[in-house]
Amino acid sequence: MSFRHLDHWAEVPSLVTRLAPPARLLAMVAVALGAALLPMGAWPQMAALLVLVLAFAATARIPAPAFAARLAGPLFLVLLASCAVLVLAPGEPLWALGPIRVTDTGLVRFGSVVGRATPALGAAVVLVSTLRFPELLEALRKLRLPSAVTTALGLSYRLLYTLADEIERLRRAARSRNAGHGAAGRRRTAMGIAAASLVRSYARSERVHRAMLARGYSGALPQLHAQPMDVRSVVVLLAVSAIVLLVVSSAWL
Amino acid sequence: MAHIPDGFLSAPVLVGTAAASAGAVVAATRGRARFAERRAPLLGALTAFVFAVQMLNFPLGAGASAHLLGGVLVAVMVGPWDGILVIFSVVLVQALLFQDGGIAALGANTLNLAVLGAGGGWLVYRWAFILAGRSRQLLAVGIAAFFVAVLTGGAVAAELALSGAVPLTPALVAVGGSHVLVGLSEALITVGILRMVRRARPELLADAPLPSAVTRRWVVGTTAAAVLLAAGSYLASTRPDALEAAVARLGLDRVGVATSLPWADWWPGGPWGRALVGIAAAFGLAWLVFRVAARRDGAL
Repeated sequence: MSFRHLDHWAEVPSLVTRLAPPARLLAMVAVALGAALLPMGAWPQMAALLVLVLAFAATARIPAPAFAARLAGPLFLVLLASCAVLVLAPGEPLWALGPIRVTDTGLVRFGSVVGRATPALGAAVVLVSTLRFPELLEALRKLRLPSAVTTALGLSYRLLYTLADEIERLRRAARSRNAGHGAAGRRRTAMGIAAASLVRSYARSERVHRAMLARGYSGALPQLHAQPMDVRSVVVLLAVSAIVLLVVSSAWL
Repeated sequence: MAHIPDGFLSAPVLVGTAAASAGAVVAATRGRARFAERRAPLLGALTAFVFAVQMLNFPLGAGASAHLLGGVLVAVMVGPWDGILVIFSVVLVQALLFQDGGIAALGANTLNLAVLGAGGGWLVYRWAFILAGRSRQLLAVGIAAFFVAVLTGGAVAAELALSGAVPLTPALVAVGGSHVLVGLSEALITVGILRMVRRARPELLADAPLPSAVTRRWVVGTTAAAVLLAAGSYLASTRPDALEAAVARLGLDRVGVATSLPWADWWPGGPWGRALVGIAAAFGLAWLVFRVAARRDGAL
């Protein structure tokens, strides 16, 4: 197993996949930030950012059903969380069911939260679908994220699915022994699995460290496939930033 | 809703929380060149562990289940700074790859889950550890896990209210209240896991330094004073105190204030801005006192 199930369209030749990873990451951050900076009720600007994201998805050749399916999960969670905004905001009541009242302000805030979250989530879906995890790490390194974090992320990438498989094996073993009766028993079993994984993580980190030292590790992980920041990437990044800036300014001016 | 999605927070809150989180992450990595050489494999393994174990559901009964936040667990194992880095790495991957928490809201989520969750969790753990003693280490862990989950809920509610998404009181009741339950489950799970770890590998939890007698007296004294103050406030008289009575008798309360402090109107953001400055100043002072005390004990 690996994160490869996420980046299905990383190998598909397109303008998006030809961009340098830092440019792709920064463009996504620009769209997310731009959406977050929009005022409540800026519907045309929210729609404009969504159109920009959809254009990117089309350029990256991500099929519409796949894009929608990937967007649906996180968007559902946003909708769920936004329900609190819908009923908690004060204002003129539009609809009431007992103590639950939907107000005009609540409706605008609910729409604004969903409208701002959708382009940001869409941009993240495009990024994840077209960027391999090592490329993401390379982009984070180039963007001067502390090496402590990128090194830990790089190593956790190697270990995560090993650990997830191990947890699944331990769960299967516990089930085969009929371990854990009732909620308390199942909880104790889950805690035992977590504790065993934690202890094994420590042991594995010690083994990995020794192996890394044996291979000449000196504090920095080697970088493969470093893609330079070319002119095309810079131009596209500047264009996306300019569009986002224009959209956000038009909402505030 | 510990992971805030994009769309909920306003620009000042996004900028403020991002600046605070960036400062904390930089502070966690600064001057620690030994990190990459010796600690990287351990932190990588712990990042993977937190990520993997968050997929595991812990049954609570009555059909409910919970998952681990992990801030206090990691901070107790590797200390506050490394704990902040581990949880920040987890939050970053969750936001970038799984859209669990917003990209623009990354600063707020890092502040809530890594800085408060791991850094703040370690402070509460140390405070409770000093009061409870080494023999009740797991009790201190449980107290820290509970308080930090509630604190995280309170922080989320405050950020939502500051952004104008929802009023503060309902947000505190809804988000903070639900995090009381999250805190109970977090304490239960964290203590349960660490009890088993201590049984299998006691050396992994044994390096918590004991405080000096002076520090312990300070902690016990200030805690007792805080408890007395909190309890005493309920017993306080509602009638005016001596100063208020004297001011009323002399008629000074009817005299308008001719001058005010020169910087009274300078702070932006009205009462919220002044409250934030006050919180930041109190936090800075407490951090300074803690650093001096911890350095004397050799904890840092």
